[in-house]
Amino acid sequence: MPPALSFDKVTKTYLRSHLGMVTATRGVSELSLEVAEGEVFGLLGLNGNGKTTTMKLALGLLRPTSGSVRVFGREPGSMEALGSVGYLPELPSYYPYLTPRESLAYYARLSGVPKAGLEGRIDEVLRSVGLEKAAKRSAGEFSKGMLQRLGLAQALLHQPKLILLDEPVSGLDPLAIHDVRELLLRINRAGSTLLLSSHSISDVERLCSRVGILVEGKLVRVLSQPDWSAQGGLEKIFVDTVRPAA
Amino acid sequence: MSALGILCANAWREQVRGRFFSVTLIFGGLMLYMSVLLGMLASDQEVRVLLDFGLSFIDVLAAAAVTFAAATGLVREMETKTLYLILSRPVPRSVYLLGRYLGLLLSALTAVLAMAVVHVSILLFKGWHWEAGYLLALAGVGLKLAVTAAVATLLTMISTSVLSALCLTGISWMLGHFVFEIRFMATQALAGASAKALYVMAYVVPNLQLFNFRDRLGIPDATGGGVSFLFALSYCLVYSAACLGGAWGIFRRREF
Repeated sequence: MPPALSFDKVTKTYLRSHLGMVTATRGVSELSLEVAEGEVFGLLGLNGNGKTTTMKLALGLLRPTSGSVRVFGREPGSMEALGSVGYLPELPSYYPYLTPRESLAYYARLSGVPKAGLEGRIDEVLRSVGLEKAAKRSAGEFSKGMLQRLGLAQALLHQPKLILLDEPVSGLDPLAIHDVRELLLRINRAGSTLLLSSHSISDVERLCSRVGILVEGKLVRVLSQPDWSAQGGLEKIFVDTVRPAA
Repeated sequence: MSALGILCANAWREQVRGRFFSVTLIFGGLMLYMSVLLGMLASDQEVRVLLDFGLSFIDVLAAAAVTFAAATGLVREMETKTLYLILSRPVPRSVYLLGRYLGLLLSALTAVLAMAVVHVSILLFKGWHWEAGYLLALAGVGLKLAVTAAVATLLTMISTSVLSALCLTGISWMLGHFVFEIRFMATQALAGASAKALYVMAYVVPNLQLFNFRDRLGIPDATGGGVSFLFALSYCLVYSAACLGGAWGIFRRREF
């Protein structure tokens, strides 16, 4: 059985041209990683160190400059691969004229969720992210935290096998963070694979079974739960790893 | 409903609920009122003036609305990341582009229809007798919008900013009304780069003069409307398909 997600020596270089001058920036460099089905894998790294690039490569929104990426053994961006993926981008926004219910119906139908049972599924997801009371308000009136909950709802709606979460607890209050953590663990127990990036080390520590640390686009360390428990916690390892480069 | 229909319906809803659509309709109402005032100045030709100015205003405003929507829509979807939420689903990029295009076109046609209802009401009030040619003139406006929206979609893909996409579409729209004149100038120009450039321009910019059925209105013995319309329809389909094909060629390789 192929892994849920695999990166084989993937390098992504961004080329930007301005006034005839072309500059190259490394997004990720020689990234090799496998995320097994049913795993919760966390990506840690400072801003601009390749976390979002990694996720976009898995979605086919970016193409690798070299190396290969596979999602359940398939080309990222292919209809088969995208059909099994849910994605929460960092700080997403939504059509302000739609209510959460309308937004979710729109995304669900684009994901191929059958119309029969759709309303029930939307109710269930709205309840699970705590938005049931705001279901009839337009997204234009939402706070940052509510938008983040709606983002989670759209990523989970079609019950994808692999969920990519870019900063899933960003903008949430402590109670919501707790609820989201519980929700993600429930989803994982139900069989979904999670790849998440976060600046909240304590959440990553509590959610993930393995963690990768990206420094300047390179995956410099991959740790499993026993590793960070034995070495004084994930925060210490993270700081010791990124400090020389920061 | 297929993904195409869903995307089309959402693009239509986005436009119709947007501020720019309301402003277009208000402005359209004002312009139609202006044409009533202009009609008063030409007392013996009042209905003719009302017809011409009214249809021209509808044409220009709808073209402005569809150009603005096409040029800004995609950029806004990228900036707000709503595009990521669509392209991370099993929706082919060609379907996204086509759905968005059809939605924009539908919203512009909705605006045309709303303004036309007001226009016809004013005309009937002023003693105009209904002519089926009016529908042909409106259909011409619709075909022109289809081409303009396709050009705007392509230029949005090529341009580096919303402003340049708007300007380029505006220029091509204006040149499109002078294609026969450009061809004539090309035949008159001396041989060399300028003649070649004029020839290229004459065949690259959309020939929007083909869609003018307004001038037939009020001419009782005008013939060949059906044939001209079929030719205009075929031209519209081929030209729009070429523009959308080009836009898709760029869009499918684009990274986000």
